[in-house]
Amino acid sequence: MSNANSAEATTSKLIAELWVRNRPLILERLALLDQAAAAVESGTLTSEQRKEAESTAHKLAGSVGMFGFHQGTALARDLEAEYVAETQDAQRLLTLTASLRSTLFPGG
Amino acid sequence: MRRVLIVDDEDDIREVAALSLEATANWTILTASSGREGIKVAAAEKPDAILMDVMMPEMDGPTTFRQLQLNPETSGIPVVLLTAKVQGVDQRRFAGLGVAAILFKPFDPLTLAAQIAEVLGWHDEPQNP
Repeated sequence: MSNANSAEATTSKLIAELWVRNRPLILERLALLDQAAAAVESGTLTSEQRKEAESTAHKLAGSVGMFGFHQGTALARDLEAEYVAETQDAQRLLTLTASLRSTLFPGG
Repeated sequence: MRRVLIVDDEDDIREVAALSLEATANWTILTASSGREGIKVAAAEKPDAILMDVMMPEMDGPTTFRQLQLNPETSGIPVVLLTAKVQGVDQRRFAGLGVAAILFKPFDPLTLAAQIAEVLGWHDEPQNP
Protein backbone atom coordinates (compact mmCIF):
# COMPACT_ATOMS: atom_id res chain seq x y z
CA MET A 1 0.00 0.00 0.00
CA SER A 2 1.35 3.46 -0.92
CA ASN A 3 1.84 6.17 1.70
CA ALA A 4 -1.14 8.05 0.26
CA ASN A 5 -3.43 5.02 0.44
CA SER A 6 -2.18 4.17 3.89
CA ALA A 7 -2.86 7.71 5.16
CA GLU A 8 -6.33 7.64 3.61
CA ALA A 9 -7.11 4.28 5.19
CA THR A 10 -5.90 5.45 8.59
CA THR A 11 -7.88 8.68 8.31
CA SER A 12 -11.04 6.86 7.25
CA LYS A 13 -10.73 4.45 10.17
CA LEU A 14 -10.24 7.29 12.66
CA ILE A 15 -13.19 9.22 11.19
CA ALA A 16 -15.37 6.13 11.59
CA GLU A 17 -14.32 5.91 15.25
CA LEU A 18 -15.16 9.59 15.72
CA TRP A 19 -18.61 8.97 14.25
CA VAL A 20 -19.24 6.30 16.89
CA ARG A 21 -17.95 8.61 19.62
CA ASN A 22 -20.15 11.48 18.39
CA ARG A 23 -23.31 9.34 18.20
CA PRO A 24 -24.75 10.70 21.49
CA LEU A 25 -24.34 14.29 20.27
CA ILE A 26 -26.04 13.52 16.96
CA LEU A 27 -28.90 11.75 18.75
CA GLU A 28 -29.27 14.75 21.06
CA ARG A 29 -29.56 17.03 18.04
CA LEU A 30 -32.13 14.75 16.40
CA ALA A 31 -34.16 14.70 19.63
CA LEU A 32 -34.21 18.49 19.65
CA LEU A 33 -35.47 18.49 16.05
CA ASP A 34 -38.16 15.94 17.00
CA GLN A 35 -39.30 18.22 19.83
CA ALA A 36 -39.37 21.27 17.57
CA ALA A 37 -41.43 19.45 14.91
CA ALA A 38 -43.84 18.24 17.61
CA ALA A 39 -44.12 21.80 18.91
CA VAL A 40 -45.00 23.06 15.42
CA GLU A 41 -47.63 20.33 15.21
CA SER A 42 -49.18 21.40 18.51
CA GLY A 43 -48.83 25.10 17.71
CA THR A 44 -46.57 25.73 20.69
CA LEU A 45 -43.22 26.41 19.00
CA THR A 46 -41.56 29.44 20.57
CA SER A 47 -39.27 31.82 18.72
CA GLU A 48 -36.35 30.57 20.80
CA GLN A 49 -37.14 26.94 19.95
CA ARG A 50 -37.37 27.78 16.25
CA LYS A 51 -33.97 29.47 16.32
CA GLU A 52 -32.48 26.54 18.19
CA ALA A 53 -33.96 24.08 15.68
CA GLU A 54 -32.59 26.16 12.79
CA SER A 55 -29.16 26.24 14.40
CA THR A 56 -29.26 22.51 15.12
CA ALA A 57 -30.23 21.66 11.54
CA HIS A 58 -27.44 23.96 10.34
CA LYS A 59 -24.89 22.16 12.52
CA LEU A 60 -26.03 18.77 11.27
CA ALA A 61 -25.88 20.00 7.66
CA GLY A 62 -22.30 21.07 8.22
CA SER A 63 -21.14 17.97 10.01
CA VAL A 64 -22.75 14.67 8.96
CA GLY A 65 -21.32 14.89 5.45
CA MET A 66 -17.81 14.75 6.93
CA PHE A 67 -18.70 11.27 8.04
CA GLY A 68 -19.92 10.30 4.58
CA PHE A 69 -23.66 10.96 5.06
CA HIS A 70 -24.23 13.25 2.08
CA GLN A 71 -27.97 12.51 1.93
CA GLY A 72 -28.07 13.47 5.61
CA THR A 73 -26.55 16.84 4.76
CA ALA A 74 -29.23 17.42 2.10
CA LEU A 75 -32.03 16.54 4.54
CA ALA A 76 -30.57 18.74 7.28
CA ARG A 77 -30.31 21.64 4.81
CA ASP A 78 -33.98 21.16 3.91
CA LEU A 79 -34.86 21.24 7.60
CA GLU A 80 -32.79 24.38 8.14
CA ALA A 81 -34.57 26.07 5.22
CA GLU A 82 -37.97 25.12 6.66
CA TYR A 83 -37.13 26.67 10.02
CA VAL A 84 -35.65 29.79 8.38
CA ALA A 85 -38.91 30.15 6.44
CA GLU A 86 -40.85 29.71 9.71
CA THR A 87 -42.90 26.90 8.23
CA GLN A 88 -46.10 25.74 9.82
CA ASP A 89 -45.98 22.43 7.92
CA ALA A 90 -45.49 20.09 10.86
CA GLN A 91 -45.92 16.97 8.75
CA ARG A 92 -43.03 17.95 6.49
CA LEU A 93 -40.83 18.67 9.49
CA LEU A 94 -41.71 15.33 11.09
CA THR A 95 -41.07 13.48 7.81
CA LEU A 96 -37.75 15.24 7.16
CA THR A 97 -36.56 14.61 10.72
CA ALA A 98 -37.55 10.94 10.54
CA SER A 99 -35.77 10.59 7.18
CA LEU A 100 -32.66 12.24 8.60
CA ARG A 101 -32.67 9.86 11.56
CA SER A 102 -33.07 6.76 9.39
CA THR A 103 -30.36 7.98 7.01
CA LEU A 104 -27.86 8.46 9.83
CA PHE A 105 -28.89 5.40 11.83
CA PRO A 106 -30.41 2.92 9.39
CA GLY A 107 -30.44 0.15 12.00
CA GLY A 108 -32.44 2.28 14.44
CA MET B 1 6.27 21.50 8.88
CA ARG B 2 3.13 23.68 8.57
CA ARG B 3 1.25 24.77 11.66
CA VAL B 4 -2.46 25.40 11.28
CA LEU B 5 -4.87 26.79 13.87
CA ILE B 6 -8.44 25.48 13.73
CA VAL B 7 -11.07 27.74 15.33
CA ASP B 8 -14.52 26.17 15.65
CA ASP B 9 -17.00 25.99 18.52
CA GLU B 10 -18.23 22.54 17.48
CA ASP B 11 -16.16 19.74 19.00
CA ASP B 12 -16.94 17.21 16.26
CA ILE B 13 -15.89 19.53 13.43
CA ARG B 14 -12.71 20.52 15.26
CA GLU B 15 -11.82 16.91 15.94
CA VAL B 16 -12.42 15.70 12.39
CA ALA B 17 -10.55 18.64 10.84
CA ALA B 18 -7.58 18.21 13.18
CA LEU B 19 -7.39 14.49 12.62
CA SER B 20 -7.71 14.95 8.88
CA LEU B 21 -4.94 17.56 8.59
CA GLU B 22 -2.58 15.67 10.87
CA ALA B 23 -3.11 12.31 9.20
CA THR B 24 -3.19 13.34 5.54
CA ALA B 25 -0.67 16.22 5.51
CA ASN B 26 1.35 15.73 8.67
CA TRP B 27 0.69 19.32 9.72
CA THR B 28 0.90 20.41 13.33
CA ILE B 29 -2.55 21.42 14.51
CA LEU B 30 -3.52 23.96 17.15
CA THR B 31 -7.15 24.35 18.16
CA ALA B 32 -9.43 26.93 19.75
CA SER B 33 -13.13 26.61 20.54
CA SER B 34 -14.06 30.31 20.25
CA GLY B 35 -13.06 33.42 18.37
CA ARG B 36 -11.67 34.98 21.52
CA GLU B 37 -9.50 31.94 22.26
CA GLY B 38 -8.47 31.81 18.60
CA ILE B 39 -7.15 35.39 18.76
CA LYS B 40 -5.06 34.54 21.83
CA VAL B 41 -3.64 31.34 20.33
CA ALA B 42 -2.90 33.06 17.02
CA ALA B 43 -0.98 35.87 18.74
CA ALA B 44 0.97 33.46 20.93
CA GLU B 45 1.72 30.75 18.37
CA LYS B 46 1.69 32.61 15.04
CA PRO B 47 0.51 29.66 12.94
CA ASP B 48 1.06 29.49 9.18
CA ALA B 49 -2.68 29.64 8.59
CA ILE B 50 -6.00 29.73 10.40
CA LEU B 51 -9.01 27.62 9.46
CA MET B 52 -12.01 29.29 11.08
CA ASP B 53 -15.73 28.66 11.33
CA VAL B 54 -18.08 31.49 10.36
CA MET B 55 -20.95 30.89 12.79
CA MET B 56 -19.72 30.88 16.36
CA PRO B 57 -21.47 32.24 19.46
CA GLU B 58 -20.25 35.49 21.05
CA MET B 59 -17.63 36.29 18.41
CA ASP B 60 -18.28 34.96 14.92
CA GLY B 61 -15.66 34.23 12.26
CA PRO B 62 -15.86 37.57 10.40
CA THR B 63 -15.57 39.54 13.66
CA THR B 64 -12.65 37.38 14.79
CA PHE B 65 -10.99 37.91 11.41
CA ARG B 66 -11.33 41.69 11.74
CA GLN B 67 -9.77 41.55 15.22
CA LEU B 68 -6.86 39.51 13.87
CA GLN B 69 -6.34 42.14 11.17
CA LEU B 70 -6.06 44.89 13.78
CA ASN B 71 -3.07 43.24 15.46
CA PRO B 72 0.21 43.56 13.50
CA GLU B 73 1.33 40.23 14.99
CA THR B 74 -1.59 38.34 13.43
CA SER B 75 -2.64 40.47 10.47
CA GLY B 76 -0.36 38.59 8.08
CA ILE B 77 -1.67 35.13 8.93
CA PRO B 78 -3.89 33.85 6.10
CA VAL B 79 -7.40 32.97 7.25
CA VAL B 80 -9.57 30.38 5.54
CA LEU B 81 -13.23 30.61 6.52
CA LEU B 82 -15.24 27.44 6.86
CA THR B 83 -18.98 27.76 6.39
CA ALA B 84 -22.09 25.65 5.92
CA LYS B 85 -23.84 28.62 4.33
CA VAL B 86 -24.28 27.72 0.69
CA GLN B 87 -26.21 30.73 -0.57
CA GLY B 88 -24.43 33.08 -2.97
CA VAL B 89 -25.25 36.18 -0.96
CA ASP B 90 -23.44 34.76 2.07
CA GLN B 91 -20.46 33.71 -0.02
CA ARG B 92 -20.11 37.20 -1.52
CA ARG B 93 -20.35 38.77 1.93
CA PHE B 94 -17.58 36.54 3.29
CA ALA B 95 -15.40 37.02 0.21
CA GLY B 96 -15.65 40.79 0.68
CA LEU B 97 -13.96 40.53 4.07
CA GLY B 98 -10.55 39.92 2.54
CA VAL B 99 -10.00 36.40 3.83
CA ALA B 100 -7.62 34.11 1.93
CA ALA B 101 -10.39 31.71 0.93
CA ILE B 102 -13.75 30.24 1.83
CA LEU B 103 -14.27 26.50 2.11
CA PHE B 104 -17.56 24.76 2.63
CA LYS B 105 -18.93 22.39 5.21
CA PRO B 106 -19.28 19.54 5.13
CA PHE B 107 -15.71 19.06 3.96
CA ASP B 108 -14.16 15.79 2.85
CA PRO B 109 -11.63 14.78 5.53
CA LEU B 110 -9.52 13.01 2.92
CA THR B 111 -9.07 16.11 0.75
CA LEU B 112 -9.31 19.01 3.21
CA ALA B 113 -5.52 19.44 3.47
CA ALA B 114 -5.16 19.45 -0.31
CA GLN B 115 -7.93 22.07 -0.59
CA ILE B 116 -6.23 24.32 1.98
CA ALA B 117 -2.82 23.87 0.35
CA GLU B 118 -4.34 24.74 -3.01
CA VAL B 119 -6.10 27.95 -1.91
CA LEU B 120 -3.04 29.11 0.04
CA GLY B 121 -0.62 28.32 -2.77
CA TRP B 122 1.30 25.77 -0.73
CA HIS B 123 2.15 23.84 -3.86
CA ASP B 124 5.27 22.25 -2.44
CA GLU B 125 3.31 20.72 0.38
CA PRO B 126 3.48 16.94 0.59
CA GLN B 127 -0.07 15.71 1.00
CA ASN B 128 0.80 12.56 2.85
CA PRO B 129 3.36 11.84 5.51
